[in-house]
Amino acid sequence: MSILNEISEKLQRGRAKEVSVLVEQALAENYSPADILNQGLIAGMNEVGEKFRRNEVFVPEVLVAARAMNAGLKILRPALISSGVKPLGKAIICTVKGDMHDIGKNLVKMMIEGQGIECIDLGVDVGPEQVVCAVRETGAKLVCLSALLTTTMTGQKEIIDALVAAGLRDRVKVMVGGAPITQQFADEIGADCYAPDAASAAIAARAFFEE
Amino acid sequence: MTNRERTLNILHYKPADRLPAVHFGYWRELLYEWAAQGKISQELAQKVRDSNAYDRELDKIIGWDYNWSHTYGASKHLYPEFEQKVIEVLPDGTKRIQNSYGVIEKVRPGVVSIPAEDDYLLKDRKAFEELYKPRMQFFPERVNYDFFRTFNEKVYEKLDVPVGISAGSILGTIRNMTSLVGLSYLIYDEDEDLLADIVDTYADMQYKCLEEVLKTGAKFDFAHYWEDVCYKGGPLISPEIFNKLCGKHYKRFNDLLRRYGIDLISLDCDGVVDKLLPIWFENGVNIMFPIEVGVWGDQFEAARKKYGPGMLGVGGMNKVALCTDKAAVDAEIERLKRLVALGGFIPCPDHRLMPGTKFELVQYYAEEIKKIKI
Repeated sequence: MSILNEISEKLQRGRAKEVSVLVEQALAENYSPADILNQGLIAGMNEVGEKFRRNEVFVPEVLVAARAMNAGLKILRPALISSGVKPLGKAIICTVKGDMHDIGKNLVKMMIEGQGIECIDLGVDVGPEQVVCAVRETGAKLVCLSALLTTTMTGQKEIIDALVAAGLRDRVKVMVGGAPITQQFADEIGADCYAPDAASAAIAARAFFEE
Repeated sequence: MTNRERTLNILHYKPADRLPAVHFGYWRELLYEWAAQGKISQELAQKVRDSNAYDRELDKIIGWDYNWSHTYGASKHLYPEFEQKVIEVLPDGTKRIQNSYGVIEKVRPGVVSIPAEDDYLLKDRKAFEELYKPRMQFFPERVNYDFFRTFNEKVYEKLDVPVGISAGSILGTIRNMTSLVGLSYLIYDEDEDLLADIVDTYADMQYKCLEEVLKTGAKFDFAHYWEDVCYKGGPLISPEIFNKLCGKHYKRFNDLLRRYGIDLISLDCDGVVDKLLPIWFENGVNIMFPIEVGVWGDQFEAARKKYGPGMLGVGGMNKVALCTDKAAVDAEIERLKRLVALGGFIPCPDHRLMPGTKFELVQYYAEEIKKIKI
Protein backbone atom coordinates (compact mmCIF):
# COMPACT_ATOMS: atom_id res chain seq x y z
CA MET A 1 0.00 0.00 0.00
CA SER A 2 1.38 3.42 -0.91
CA ILE A 3 1.82 5.96 1.82
CA LEU A 4 -0.95 8.10 0.28
CA ASN A 5 -3.38 5.18 0.44
CA GLU A 6 -2.26 4.56 3.98
CA ILE A 7 -3.03 8.19 4.90
CA SER A 8 -6.48 7.77 3.36
CA GLU A 9 -7.08 4.49 5.21
CA LYS A 10 -5.98 5.81 8.59
CA LEU A 11 -8.04 8.96 8.10
CA GLN A 12 -11.13 6.89 7.41
CA ARG A 13 -10.54 5.08 10.69
CA GLY A 14 -10.12 8.36 12.56
CA ARG A 15 -6.49 7.72 13.51
CA ALA A 16 -5.40 11.32 13.95
CA LYS A 17 -1.94 10.66 15.39
CA GLU A 18 -1.10 8.11 12.72
CA VAL A 19 -2.30 10.43 9.96
CA SER A 20 0.00 13.18 11.31
CA VAL A 21 2.97 10.84 11.35
CA LEU A 22 2.24 9.56 7.84
CA VAL A 23 1.86 13.08 6.43
CA GLU A 24 5.22 14.00 7.95
CA GLN A 25 6.73 10.86 6.48
CA ALA A 26 5.24 11.56 3.04
CA LEU A 27 6.66 15.09 3.06
CA ALA A 28 10.06 13.69 4.07
CA GLU A 29 9.83 11.25 1.15
CA ASN A 30 9.23 14.22 -1.19
CA TYR A 31 5.64 13.50 -2.13
CA SER A 32 4.11 16.73 -3.41
CA PRO A 33 1.87 18.55 -0.91
CA ALA A 34 -0.90 18.58 -3.54
CA ASP A 35 -0.74 14.79 -3.89
CA ILE A 36 -0.74 14.29 -0.13
CA LEU A 37 -3.80 16.54 0.11
CA ASN A 38 -5.73 15.15 -2.86
CA GLN A 39 -4.77 11.48 -2.90
CA GLY A 40 -4.38 11.09 0.86
CA LEU A 41 -6.51 13.39 2.96
CA ILE A 42 -9.27 14.39 0.52
CA ALA A 43 -9.50 10.87 -0.89
CA GLY A 44 -10.04 9.56 2.64
CA MET A 45 -12.69 12.15 3.48
CA ASN A 46 -14.45 11.48 0.17
CA GLU A 47 -14.68 7.81 1.07
CA VAL A 48 -16.07 8.67 4.52
CA GLY A 49 -18.58 11.05 2.93
CA GLU A 50 -19.78 8.40 0.51
CA LYS A 51 -20.17 5.83 3.29
CA PHE A 52 -22.03 8.42 5.38
CA ARG A 53 -24.37 9.14 2.49
CA ARG A 54 -25.02 5.39 2.12
CA ASN A 55 -25.66 5.07 5.90
CA GLU A 56 -22.67 2.75 6.25
CA VAL A 57 -21.01 5.06 8.76
CA PHE A 58 -22.57 7.59 11.12
CA VAL A 59 -21.85 10.98 12.68
CA PRO A 60 -19.11 9.75 15.07
CA GLU A 61 -17.12 8.20 12.22
CA VAL A 62 -17.32 11.48 10.27
CA LEU A 63 -16.27 13.49 13.31
CA VAL A 64 -13.23 11.35 14.06
CA ALA A 65 -12.26 11.28 10.39
CA ALA A 66 -12.53 15.08 10.24
CA ARG A 67 -10.40 15.32 13.36
CA ALA A 68 -7.79 13.15 11.64
CA MET A 69 -8.01 15.30 8.51
CA ASN A 70 -7.38 18.44 10.57
CA ALA A 71 -4.41 16.77 12.26
CA GLY A 72 -2.96 15.95 8.85
CA LEU A 73 -3.70 19.42 7.47
CA LYS A 74 -1.93 21.02 10.41
CA ILE A 75 1.28 19.29 9.37
CA LEU A 76 0.68 19.80 5.66
CA ARG A 77 -0.48 23.45 5.63
CA PRO A 78 2.96 25.16 5.61
CA ALA A 79 4.03 22.97 2.68
CA LEU A 80 0.78 23.69 0.84
CA ILE A 81 1.32 27.43 1.25
CA SER A 82 4.97 27.37 0.22
CA SER A 83 4.19 25.28 -2.85
CA GLY A 84 1.34 27.61 -3.87
CA VAL A 85 -1.46 25.04 -3.66
CA LYS A 86 -4.73 26.97 -3.53
CA PRO A 87 -8.03 25.77 -2.12
CA LEU A 88 -10.66 24.75 -4.66
CA GLY A 89 -12.78 27.73 -3.60
CA LYS A 90 -14.06 29.72 -0.68
CA ALA A 91 -17.37 29.18 1.11
CA ILE A 92 -19.13 30.87 4.02
CA ILE A 93 -21.16 28.79 6.45
CA CYS A 94 -23.39 29.67 9.41
CA THR A 95 -26.47 28.77 11.41
CA VAL A 96 -29.11 31.45 10.94
CA LYS A 97 -30.39 34.07 13.38
CA GLY A 98 -32.15 32.78 16.47
CA ASP A 99 -30.67 29.31 16.16
CA MET A 100 -27.74 28.11 18.29
CA HIS A 101 -27.49 24.61 16.81
CA ASP A 102 -24.10 23.89 15.35
CA ILE A 103 -23.63 20.14 14.99
CA GLY A 104 -25.14 19.95 11.50
CA LYS A 105 -23.36 23.11 10.46
CA ASN A 106 -20.04 21.78 11.78
CA LEU A 107 -20.51 18.47 9.99
CA VAL A 108 -21.16 20.23 6.69
CA LYS A 109 -18.13 22.45 7.28
CA MET A 110 -15.89 19.44 7.92
CA MET A 111 -17.16 17.64 4.84
CA ILE A 112 -16.76 20.73 2.64
CA GLU A 113 -13.22 21.28 3.95
CA GLY A 114 -12.64 17.63 3.19
CA GLN A 115 -13.17 18.54 -0.45
CA GLY A 116 -10.31 21.04 -0.35
CA ILE A 117 -12.61 24.04 -0.09
CA GLU A 118 -11.80 26.85 2.35
CA CYS A 119 -14.77 27.26 4.65
CA ILE A 120 -15.25 30.45 6.65
CA ASP A 121 -17.41 29.68 9.68
CA LEU A 122 -19.48 32.64 10.89
CA GLY A 123 -20.84 30.59 13.77
CA VAL A 124 -24.40 30.38 15.05
CA ASP A 125 -27.24 32.93 15.43
CA VAL A 126 -26.00 34.81 12.36
CA GLY A 127 -28.14 37.52 10.80
CA PRO A 128 -28.34 38.82 7.22
CA GLU A 129 -26.01 41.79 7.78
CA GLN A 130 -23.17 39.56 8.96
CA VAL A 131 -23.50 37.31 5.92
CA VAL A 132 -23.63 40.25 3.51
CA CYS A 133 -20.49 41.75 5.13
CA ALA A 134 -18.68 38.42 5.02
CA VAL A 135 -19.48 37.90 1.33
CA ARG A 136 -18.16 41.40 0.57
CA GLU A 137 -15.02 40.99 2.65
CA THR A 138 -14.00 37.47 1.70
CA GLY A 139 -15.20 37.18 -1.87
CA ALA A 140 -16.66 33.77 -1.06
CA LYS A 141 -18.68 32.31 -3.90
CA LEU A 142 -20.79 29.91 -1.86
CA VAL A 143 -22.99 30.62 1.17
CA CYS A 144 -24.20 27.63 3.21
CA LEU A 145 -27.08 28.26 5.61
CA SER A 146 -28.17 25.87 8.35
CA ALA A 147 -31.36 25.94 10.46
CA LEU A 148 -32.58 23.27 12.83
CA LEU A 149 -35.88 24.74 13.89
CA THR A 150 -39.13 25.41 12.11
CA THR A 151 -39.10 28.72 13.97
CA THR A 152 -35.73 29.79 12.51
CA MET A 153 -35.82 28.35 9.00
CA THR A 154 -37.29 31.61 7.70
CA GLY A 155 -33.93 33.19 8.61
CA GLN A 156 -32.54 31.53 5.47
CA LYS A 157 -34.94 33.55 3.32
CA GLU A 158 -34.03 36.74 5.16
CA ILE A 159 -30.38 36.19 4.27
CA ILE A 160 -31.16 35.48 0.62
CA ASP A 161 -33.31 38.63 0.50
CA ALA A 162 -30.47 40.63 2.06
CA LEU A 163 -28.03 39.32 -0.54
CA VAL A 164 -30.46 40.42 -3.25
CA ALA A 165 -30.88 43.85 -1.65
CA ALA A 166 -27.10 44.25 -1.40
CA GLY A 167 -26.67 43.40 -5.08
CA LEU A 168 -24.63 40.31 -4.22
CA ARG A 169 -27.06 37.56 -5.12
CA ASP A 170 -25.62 37.00 -8.59
CA ARG A 171 -22.11 36.66 -7.17
CA VAL A 172 -22.85 33.76 -4.83
CA LYS A 173 -24.62 30.42 -4.80
CA VAL A 174 -26.74 29.72 -1.73
CA MET A 175 -27.04 26.24 -0.28
CA VAL A 176 -29.57 25.51 2.50
CA GLY A 177 -30.05 22.56 4.83
CA GLY A 178 -31.22 21.50 8.27
CA ALA A 179 -33.82 19.27 9.88
CA PRO A 180 -36.99 21.10 8.74
CA ILE A 181 -35.66 22.12 5.32
CA THR A 182 -36.99 20.48 2.16
CA GLN A 183 -36.37 20.90 -1.55
CA GLN A 184 -39.74 22.61 -1.77
CA PHE A 185 -38.80 25.14 0.90
CA ALA A 186 -35.42 25.74 -0.77
CA ASP A 187 -37.19 26.44 -4.06
CA GLU A 188 -39.72 28.73 -2.40
CA ILE A 189 -37.06 30.93 -0.80
CA GLY A 190 -34.90 31.09 -3.92
CA ALA A 191 -31.93 29.00 -2.77
CA ASP A 192 -29.70 27.49 -5.45
CA CYS A 193 -29.28 24.16 -3.73
CA TYR A 194 -30.85 22.03 -1.01
CA ALA A 195 -28.53 19.59 0.74
CA PRO A 196 -30.37 16.79 2.56
CA ASP A 197 -27.23 15.76 4.44
CA ALA A 198 -23.63 16.78 5.04
CA ALA A 199 -22.14 14.45 2.44
CA SER A 200 -24.53 15.71 -0.25
CA ALA A 201 -23.61 19.27 0.73
CA ALA A 202 -19.93 18.53 0.17
CA ILE A 203 -20.58 16.91 -3.21
CA ALA A 204 -22.71 19.86 -4.30
CA ALA A 205 -20.08 22.36 -3.11
CA ARG A 206 -17.34 20.60 -5.02
CA ALA A 207 -19.49 20.40 -8.15
CA PHE A 208 -20.20 24.12 -7.86
CA PHE A 209 -16.52 25.06 -7.70
CA GLU A 210 -15.62 22.68 -10.50
CA GLU A 211 -18.28 24.15 -12.83
CA MET B 1 -64.86 4.90 29.82
CA THR B 2 -62.07 6.76 31.58
CA ASN B 3 -59.12 8.00 29.61
CA ARG B 4 -57.02 5.32 31.25
CA GLU B 5 -59.43 2.58 30.16
CA ARG B 6 -59.79 3.76 26.58
CA THR B 7 -56.03 4.24 26.20
CA LEU B 8 -55.11 0.86 27.63
CA ASN B 9 -57.84 -0.83 25.63
CA ILE B 10 -56.65 0.69 22.36
CA LEU B 11 -53.05 -0.28 23.07
CA HIS B 12 -54.21 -3.83 23.87
CA TYR B 13 -56.43 -4.07 20.76
CA LYS B 14 -59.61 -4.12 22.85
CA PRO B 15 -62.79 -2.12 22.19
CA ALA B 16 -62.92 1.52 23.25
CA ASP B 17 -65.67 4.11 22.92
CA ARG B 18 -63.46 6.64 21.12
CA LEU B 19 -59.94 7.95 20.68
CA PRO B 20 -58.51 10.03 23.50
CA ALA B 21 -57.25 13.52 22.55
CA VAL B 22 -53.59 13.24 23.55
CA HIS B 23 -50.84 15.83 23.33
CA PHE B 24 -47.19 16.26 24.23
CA GLY B 25 -47.00 19.79 25.58
CA TYR B 26 -45.90 23.09 24.12
CA TRP B 27 -42.92 25.26 23.38
CA ARG B 28 -42.95 27.92 26.10
CA GLU B 29 -42.89 30.62 23.38
CA LEU B 30 -46.20 29.31 22.03
CA LEU B 31 -47.80 29.67 25.45
CA TYR B 32 -46.55 33.26 25.62
CA GLU B 33 -47.92 33.83 22.12
CA TRP B 34 -51.33 32.52 23.19
CA ALA B 35 -51.22 34.66 26.33
CA ALA B 36 -50.44 37.75 24.23
CA GLN B 37 -53.41 36.87 22.02
CA GLY B 38 -55.63 36.67 25.11
CA LYS B 39 -56.31 32.96 24.65
CA ILE B 40 -54.81 31.92 27.99
CA SER B 41 -53.61 33.70 31.13
CA GLN B 42 -50.01 34.79 31.69
CA GLU B 43 -50.00 32.55 34.76
CA LEU B 44 -50.77 29.49 32.65
CA ALA B 45 -48.18 30.52 30.08
CA GLN B 46 -45.54 30.66 32.77
CA LYS B 47 -46.50 27.69 34.91
CA VAL B 48 -47.57 24.90 32.56
CA ARG B 49 -45.25 21.92 32.88
CA ASP B 50 -45.94 18.43 31.55
CA SER B 51 -49.04 17.09 33.35
CA ASN B 52 -48.95 19.51 36.27
CA ALA B 53 -52.15 21.15 37.56
CA TYR B 54 -51.72 24.09 35.15
CA ASP B 55 -51.26 21.72 32.21
CA ARG B 56 -54.45 19.91 33.20
CA GLU B 57 -56.26 23.25 33.45
CA LEU B 58 -55.08 24.11 29.95
CA ASP B 59 -56.20 20.64 28.80
CA LYS B 60 -59.71 21.55 29.89
CA ILE B 61 -59.64 24.92 28.12
CA ILE B 62 -58.43 23.36 24.87
CA GLY B 63 -60.30 20.08 25.08
CA TRP B 64 -57.36 17.71 25.38
CA ASP B 65 -57.89 14.55 27.41
CA TYR B 66 -54.28 14.40 28.68
CA ASN B 67 -50.55 14.86 28.09
CA TRP B 68 -48.78 11.56 27.26
CA SER B 69 -45.81 12.73 29.27
CA HIS B 70 -47.28 11.79 32.64
CA THR B 71 -44.67 9.80 34.47
CA TYR B 72 -43.26 9.38 37.94
CA GLY B 73 -40.00 7.87 39.10
CA ALA B 74 -36.82 8.14 41.12
CA SER B 75 -34.27 10.86 40.54
CA LYS B 76 -31.75 9.56 38.05
CA HIS B 77 -29.79 12.79 37.72
CA LEU B 78 -26.15 13.03 38.66
CA TYR B 79 -26.12 13.15 42.43
CA PRO B 80 -25.09 15.72 43.37
CA GLU B 81 -25.51 17.59 40.11
CA PHE B 82 -22.73 19.89 38.94
CA GLU B 83 -23.13 23.45 40.10
CA GLN B 84 -24.84 25.51 37.42
CA LYS B 85 -22.77 28.63 37.03
CA VAL B 86 -21.71 31.31 34.57
CA ILE B 87 -18.11 30.63 33.58
CA GLU B 88 -17.65 33.65 31.34
CA VAL B 89 -19.58 36.46 29.67
CA LEU B 90 -18.32 37.16 26.15
CA PRO B 91 -18.24 40.68 24.63
CA ASP B 92 -21.46 40.09 22.64
CA GLY B 93 -23.32 39.14 25.82
CA THR B 94 -23.14 35.39 25.21
CA LYS B 95 -22.78 33.53 28.47
CA ARG B 96 -20.71 30.39 28.83
CA ILE B 97 -22.60 28.42 31.43
CA GLN B 98 -21.71 25.14 33.12
CA ASN B 99 -24.90 23.11 33.32
CA SER B 100 -25.87 20.39 35.78
CA TYR B 101 -24.22 17.70 33.59
CA GLY B 102 -20.86 19.50 33.62
CA VAL B 103 -21.25 20.62 30.01
CA ILE B 104 -20.32 24.19 29.11
CA GLU B 105 -23.05 25.75 27.00
CA LYS B 106 -23.21 29.03 25.15
CA VAL B 107 -26.41 30.94 25.80
CA ARG B 108 -27.02 34.14 23.87
CA PRO B 109 -29.44 36.74 25.22
CA GLY B 110 -32.71 36.88 23.32
CA VAL B 111 -32.08 33.65 21.43
CA VAL B 112 -34.76 31.03 21.95
CA SER B 113 -32.99 27.81 21.08
CA ILE B 114 -31.37 24.80 22.63
CA PRO B 115 -28.02 26.12 23.95
CA ALA B 116 -24.91 25.36 21.92
CA GLU B 117 -22.53 22.90 23.58
CA ASP B 118 -19.08 24.42 23.85
CA ASP B 119 -17.04 22.11 26.07
CA TYR B 120 -17.52 19.25 28.50
CA LEU B 121 -15.78 17.54 31.40
CA LEU B 122 -16.41 13.86 30.67
CA LYS B 123 -13.50 13.39 28.28
CA ASP B 124 -11.44 10.58 29.77
CA ARG B 125 -11.31 7.84 32.36
CA LYS B 126 -9.89 10.14 35.04
CA ALA B 127 -12.87 12.50 34.69
CA PHE B 128 -15.25 9.54 34.74
CA GLU B 129 -13.71 7.92 37.82
CA GLU B 130 -13.30 11.13 39.79
CA LEU B 131 -16.18 13.38 38.73
CA TYR B 132 -18.94 11.21 37.28
CA LYS B 133 -18.84 7.68 38.63
CA PRO B 134 -19.43 8.80 42.24
CA ARG B 135 -22.42 10.87 41.03
CA MET B 136 -23.88 7.91 39.12
CA GLN B 137 -24.31 5.63 42.14
CA PHE B 138 -27.59 4.58 43.72
CA PHE B 139 -28.43 6.32 46.99
CA PRO B 140 -31.73 5.84 48.87
CA GLU B 141 -32.21 9.60 48.58
CA ARG B 142 -32.95 9.07 44.91
CA VAL B 143 -36.29 7.44 45.76
CA ASN B 144 -39.12 9.22 47.58
CA TYR B 145 -40.25 6.06 49.35
CA ASP B 146 -43.02 7.78 51.34
CA PHE B 147 -44.54 9.17 48.14
CA PHE B 148 -44.49 5.84 46.32
CA ARG B 149 -45.82 3.83 49.29
CA THR B 150 -49.01 5.93 49.19
CA PHE B 151 -48.89 6.50 45.43
CA ASN B 152 -51.82 4.24 44.48
CA GLU B 153 -54.24 5.88 46.89
CA LYS B 154 -53.05 9.46 46.52
CA VAL B 155 -52.17 9.60 42.84
CA TYR B 156 -53.03 6.57 40.71
CA GLU B 157 -56.62 6.07 41.86
CA LYS B 158 -57.37 9.78 41.69
CA LEU B 159 -56.33 10.20 38.07
CA ASP B 160 -58.35 9.02 35.10
CA VAL B 161 -55.37 9.04 32.72
CA PRO B 162 -52.66 6.46 32.08
CA VAL B 163 -49.80 6.91 34.51
CA GLY B 164 -46.26 5.95 33.58
CA ILE B 165 -43.08 5.08 35.41
CA SER B 166 -40.00 6.84 34.09
CA ALA B 167 -37.57 4.16 32.92
CA GLY B 168 -34.83 6.70 32.23
CA SER B 169 -32.39 6.81 29.37
CA ILE B 170 -29.62 4.39 28.51
CA LEU B 171 -27.58 6.60 26.17
CA GLY B 172 -29.45 9.90 25.70
CA THR B 173 -28.53 11.36 29.08
CA ILE B 174 -24.90 10.29 28.68
CA ARG B 175 -24.93 12.12 25.33
CA ASN B 176 -26.14 15.15 27.30
CA MET B 177 -23.09 14.80 29.56
CA THR B 178 -20.55 14.50 26.75
CA SER B 179 -22.14 16.36 23.82
CA LEU B 180 -22.41 14.46 20.56
CA VAL B 181 -18.85 15.35 19.63
CA GLY B 182 -17.56 14.07 22.96
CA LEU B 183 -19.60 10.88 22.65
CA SER B 184 -18.11 10.32 19.21
CA TYR B 185 -14.58 10.70 20.51
CA LEU B 186 -15.30 8.37 23.43
CA ILE B 187 -16.40 5.69 20.97
CA TYR B 188 -13.11 5.83 19.09
CA ASP B 189 -10.46 6.98 21.53
CA GLU B 190 -7.83 4.68 22.97
CA ASP B 191 -9.68 3.53 26.11
CA GLU B 192 -12.25 1.57 24.17
CA ASP B 193 -13.94 0.20 27.29
CA LEU B 194 -14.56 3.64 28.78
CA LEU B 195 -17.88 4.40 27.09
CA ALA B 196 -19.19 0.92 27.91
CA ASP B 197 -18.15 1.45 31.56
CA ILE B 198 -19.99 4.78 31.64
CA VAL B 199 -23.13 3.29 30.09
CA ASP B 200 -23.05 0.26 32.42
CA THR B 201 -22.51 2.39 35.54
CA TYR B 202 -25.33 4.78 34.70
CA ALA B 203 -27.66 1.93 33.68
CA ASP B 204 -26.99 -0.01 36.90
CA MET B 205 -28.06 2.98 38.97
CA GLN B 206 -31.20 3.50 36.87
CA TYR B 207 -32.11 -0.19 37.12
CA LYS B 208 -31.85 -0.03 40.89
CA CYS B 209 -34.02 3.13 40.91
CA LEU B 210 -36.64 1.39 38.80
CA GLU B 211 -36.59 -1.70 40.98
CA GLU B 212 -36.87 0.28 44.22
CA VAL B 213 -39.90 2.21 42.97
CA LEU B 214 -41.60 -0.94 41.70
CA LYS B 215 -40.92 -2.74 44.99
CA THR B 216 -43.02 -0.15 46.83
CA GLY B 217 -46.10 -1.60 45.12
CA ALA B 218 -46.90 1.60 43.22
CA LYS B 219 -49.10 0.91 40.18
CA PHE B 220 -48.23 2.08 36.69
CA ASP B 221 -49.93 1.64 33.33
CA PHE B 222 -46.83 2.00 31.20
CA ALA B 223 -43.12 2.74 31.35
CA HIS B 224 -41.45 5.46 29.39
CA TYR B 225 -37.87 5.97 28.20
CA TRP B 226 -36.36 9.11 26.76
CA GLU B 227 -33.46 8.71 24.35
CA ASP B 228 -33.37 11.20 21.43
CA VAL B 229 -30.46 9.47 19.71
CA CYS B 230 -31.64 9.96 16.12
CA TYR B 231 -31.87 12.92 13.78
CA LYS B 232 -33.09 13.67 10.29
CA GLY B 233 -30.42 11.42 8.76
CA GLY B 234 -31.01 8.40 11.03
CA PRO B 235 -29.28 7.24 14.20
CA LEU B 236 -26.60 9.49 15.69
CA ILE B 237 -24.37 6.46 16.24
CA SER B 238 -24.07 3.16 14.44
CA PRO B 239 -26.84 0.69 15.27
CA GLU B 240 -24.22 -2.00 15.95
CA ILE B 241 -22.45 0.13 18.53
CA PHE B 242 -25.78 1.24 20.01
CA ASN B 243 -26.90 -2.35 20.33
CA LYS B 244 -23.62 -3.47 21.88
CA LEU B 245 -23.73 -0.66 24.44
CA CYS B 246 -27.44 -0.51 25.21
CA GLY B 247 -29.33 -3.60 24.01
CA LYS B 248 -28.64 -5.71 27.10
CA HIS B 249 -29.78 -2.90 29.40
CA TYR B 250 -33.12 -2.45 27.62
CA LYS B 251 -33.60 -6.20 27.93
CA ARG B 252 -33.05 -6.38 31.68
CA PHE B 253 -34.99 -3.17 32.38
CA ASN B 254 -37.93 -4.39 30.33
CA ASP B 255 -37.83 -7.89 31.82
CA LEU B 256 -38.04 -6.26 35.25
CA LEU B 257 -40.98 -4.07 34.18
CA ARG B 258 -42.84 -7.06 32.80
CA ARG B 259 -42.26 -9.00 36.01
CA TYR B 260 -44.18 -6.19 37.70
CA GLY B 261 -46.99 -6.45 35.14
CA ILE B 262 -46.05 -3.46 32.99
CA ASP B 263 -46.44 -4.59 29.39
CA LEU B 264 -46.64 -1.19 27.68
CA ILE B 265 -43.18 0.29 27.29
CA SER B 266 -42.83 3.47 25.31
CA LEU B 267 -39.70 5.20 24.13
CA ASP B 268 -39.36 8.83 23.10
CA CYS B 269 -36.92 9.32 20.28
CA ASP B 270 -37.10 12.10 17.72
CA GLY B 271 -35.76 11.79 14.21
CA VAL B 272 -35.54 8.89 11.78
CA VAL B 273 -35.65 5.88 14.09
CA ASP B 274 -36.09 2.95 11.73
CA LYS B 275 -32.53 1.61 12.11
CA LEU B 276 -32.81 1.49 15.90
CA LEU B 277 -36.37 0.18 15.99
CA PRO B 278 -35.36 -3.49 15.80
CA ILE B 279 -32.98 -3.06 18.75
CA TRP B 280 -35.64 -1.45 20.91
CA PHE B 281 -38.39 -3.80 19.77
CA GLU B 282 -36.38 -7.00 20.18
CA ASN B 283 -35.39 -5.91 23.68
CA GLY B 284 -38.92 -5.22 24.87
CA VAL B 285 -39.87 -1.65 23.94
CA ASN B 286 -43.24 -1.78 22.20
CA ILE B 287 -44.55 1.79 21.86
CA MET B 288 -42.78 4.24 19.56
CA PHE B 289 -43.23 7.90 20.40
CA PRO B 290 -43.57 10.62 19.06
CA ILE B 291 -43.21 9.27 15.48
CA GLU B 292 -42.11 12.53 13.87
CA VAL B 293 -43.97 12.78 10.59
CA GLY B 294 -41.81 15.65 9.39
CA VAL B 295 -38.63 13.59 9.33
CA TRP B 296 -39.75 9.96 9.49
CA GLY B 297 -42.54 10.39 6.97
CA ASP B 298 -45.56 8.19 7.17
CA GLN B 299 -43.57 5.15 8.22
CA PHE B 300 -45.50 3.82 11.21
CA GLU B 301 -47.62 1.71 8.90
CA ALA B 302 -44.48 0.19 7.39
CA ALA B 303 -43.09 -0.51 10.85
CA ARG B 304 -46.34 -2.24 11.82
CA LYS B 305 -46.16 -4.39 8.72
CA LYS B 306 -42.57 -5.28 9.46
CA TYR B 307 -42.84 -5.95 13.19
CA GLY B 308 -46.47 -7.04 13.50
CA PRO B 309 -49.17 -6.10 16.01
CA GLY B 310 -46.68 -6.01 18.87
CA MET B 311 -45.40 -2.70 17.52
CA LEU B 312 -47.60 0.02 19.03
CA GLY B 313 -47.52 3.76 18.46
CA VAL B 314 -48.38 7.03 20.15
CA GLY B 315 -47.77 10.16 18.10
CA GLY B 316 -47.52 10.52 14.36
CA MET B 317 -49.81 13.56 14.04
CA ASN B 318 -48.15 16.19 11.84
CA LYS B 319 -48.30 19.21 14.14
CA VAL B 320 -47.55 21.57 11.25
CA ALA B 321 -51.23 21.21 10.25
CA LEU B 322 -52.10 23.06 13.46
CA CYS B 323 -50.25 26.12 12.15
CA THR B 324 -52.20 26.08 8.89
CA ASP B 325 -55.98 25.92 8.54
CA LYS B 326 -59.01 23.70 9.15
CA ALA B 327 -58.66 22.01 5.80
CA ALA B 328 -55.09 20.95 6.67
CA VAL B 329 -56.26 19.64 10.04
CA ASP B 330 -59.12 17.74 8.39
CA ALA B 331 -56.71 16.22 5.88
CA GLU B 332 -54.33 15.21 8.67
CA ILE B 333 -57.17 13.60 10.64
CA GLU B 334 -58.21 11.65 7.54
CA ARG B 335 -54.63 10.40 7.18
CA LEU B 336 -54.54 9.44 10.85
CA LYS B 337 -57.77 7.45 10.57
CA ARG B 338 -55.93 4.94 8.38
CA LEU B 339 -53.31 4.44 11.11
CA VAL B 340 -55.94 4.28 13.86
CA ALA B 341 -57.71 1.55 11.90
CA LEU B 342 -54.56 -0.60 12.21
CA GLY B 343 -55.22 -0.77 15.96
CA GLY B 344 -52.72 -0.20 18.75
CA PHE B 345 -52.11 3.37 17.66
CA ILE B 346 -53.08 6.65 19.33
CA PRO B 347 -52.48 9.91 17.45
CA CYS B 348 -50.61 12.66 19.27
CA PRO B 349 -48.87 15.73 17.81
CA ASP B 350 -45.42 14.56 16.76
CA HIS B 351 -43.60 16.77 19.23
CA ARG B 352 -44.27 19.85 21.33
CA LEU B 353 -46.58 22.37 19.68
CA MET B 354 -44.49 25.18 18.28
CA PRO B 355 -44.81 28.95 17.99
CA GLY B 356 -47.27 29.82 15.26
CA THR B 357 -49.68 27.07 16.27
CA LYS B 358 -53.24 28.40 16.12
CA PHE B 359 -55.18 28.05 19.36
CA GLU B 360 -58.54 27.54 17.63
CA LEU B 361 -57.10 24.83 15.38
CA VAL B 362 -55.80 22.93 18.40
CA GLN B 363 -59.26 23.13 19.98
CA TYR B 364 -60.77 21.97 16.69
CA TYR B 365 -58.33 19.06 16.37
CA ALA B 366 -58.96 17.93 19.97
CA GLU B 367 -62.71 18.05 19.39
CA GLU B 368 -62.56 16.18 16.07
CA ILE B 369 -60.13 13.48 17.17
CA LYS B 370 -62.48 12.54 20.02
CA LYS B 371 -65.22 11.85 17.48
CA ILE B 372 -63.24 8.93 16.06
CA LYS B 373 -64.73 5.65 17.20
CA ILE B 374 -62.60 2.58 17.67
